[in-house]
Amino acid sequence: MIEILELTKVYRRFRAVDGVSFSAAPGRVTGFLGLNGSGKTTTLRMLLGLTRPTSGTALIGGKRFRELRHPARQVGAVLEQGLSHPGQTGRAHLRTQALLTGAEPGRVDMLLEQVGLGHAAGQRTGDYSLGMRQRLAVATALLGDPAVLVLDEPANGLDPEGIAWLRELLRAHAYAGGTVLISSHLLAELAQLIDDVVIVSHGTIRYSAPLPELYGSATRKLRVRGRDPQRLWRAFEQAGARVGTDGRVLEVVGLTAEDAGEIAFEARVPVYELTTDAPSLEQIFLDLVAGS
Amino acid sequence: MIALVRSEVYRLATIRSSWVSMALFAALGMLFGLLSADMWALLAGVGAFGLAVMAVCQHHQHGTAVLLHLARPRRTLVLAGQLVTVVLVTTAFAAVSGLLVLMGGEATQYGNTLLVVPVMAVFGAANAAVLRRSTYLFIGYSAWFVFIEGLLGKLAAPLPFSAYLLASAGESDSMLILVGWSLLALVAAGIAIHRDVAGD
Repeated sequence: MIEILELTKVYRRFRAVDGVSFSAAPGRVTGFLGLNGSGKTTTLRMLLGLTRPTSGTALIGGKRFRELRHPARQVGAVLEQGLSHPGQTGRAHLRTQALLTGAEPGRVDMLLEQVGLGHAAGQRTGDYSLGMRQRLAVATALLGDPAVLVLDEPANGLDPEGIAWLRELLRAHAYAGGTVLISSHLLAELAQLIDDVVIVSHGTIRYSAPLPELYGSATRKLRVRGRDPQRLWRAFEQAGARVGTDGRVLEVVGLTAEDAGEIAFEARVPVYELTTDAPSLEQIFLDLVAGS
Repeated sequence: MIALVRSEVYRLATIRSSWVSMALFAALGMLFGLLSADMWALLAGVGAFGLAVMAVCQHHQHGTAVLLHLARPRRTLVLAGQLVTVVLVTTAFAAVSGLLVLMGGEATQYGNTLLVVPVMAVFGAANAAVLRRSTYLFIGYSAWFVFIEGLLGKLAAPLPFSAYLLASAGESDSMLILVGWSLLALVAAGIAIHRDVAGD
């Protein structure tokens, strides 16, 4: 369980993070969404004890990170890209980390295979592609077999196959009872992965809830195309709906599909297309952020 | 602490640039040892300082300081582990590079240098923990050594590198001066190590 309680970070006069509170529960994947500079990374770094908060607390399993007895066996983190010495091989990098964290040395080769780097284990990490470095970072995070995973933009540099692999890995981790907190700007990818969503903007939390609740709270739009758009427009407005157009179809807010069909029938306008436009996570996110 | 030291030694041994530098300095040390024990002592000190700086700064240059602190959140212990590592590695480096000096009958200077090299390594590592950038340290201390300690102090002022040279020649007062500088650097490092790790 991750608990962020009123976390604040102030750099001189700039409040990078301002009273942020949320939690990430075991058995669930929590998405932490925000634009660049919104305070995501600073929040995660405070959670992991790399940056000192101005005020507030971040707890993992009820303890602050620096109070954890074996942090690497409890928390795995993927933060920046390419956190390895470029002159060291992938295997030597993981062995160094295994010695440091007290992880089973036998896990090194097993993890290299698991993340798809078995063939490149003896290659220097400076010669790795961005995607390979990300895979190595994930292997490093998994070295201590931790229950909690904290990942900051882990899909950066991964190809579609790599993203699908990461998604399966994180889902399996949560399914096994682990806690996953992930930040990403690849919202379409994230929408397929997360159970809960936390949206941060300008250092403050804009929304925090299960993902279905976020979808449910969003305004749904109807897309209507008929023989006489002007008559349809008037009819929908008279029924109290908000109507706009993208030049091809009418976009109607405030009516159900059933209502719209009945209104069109009564107005004697044949309808060629009537669909409910379910908002994407990206649309909802941008609407929420734009409103801040 | 032991795990941290083992990990650091393994890391240095598996980074090509690190062991190539050490091998190169050791070979150069042997060559200098053939010419003069004083020249070897100077190289051993500069080498110890450089290796210590490199060992600490590499973590910040390549971001592995993040991994270090994620695995070991108690930063004072991390600093202590790094100090033990550089003391072990630089002493071994000095001992090997000075074998020709020892065989040439300069056992006293060899012994004195082996005593003072670890102190110089601590001084370098502590400075690196404060500044975190090897380039700043190498350029800054090169200028310091030439202009302040060399031209102004005539290598006799109570300053770190002059004290190292005099201590390696057997002056116990200079050893105390170098220990004093190292302690001062350690105090600064003990405070600086708690700063936010880069990335902000």
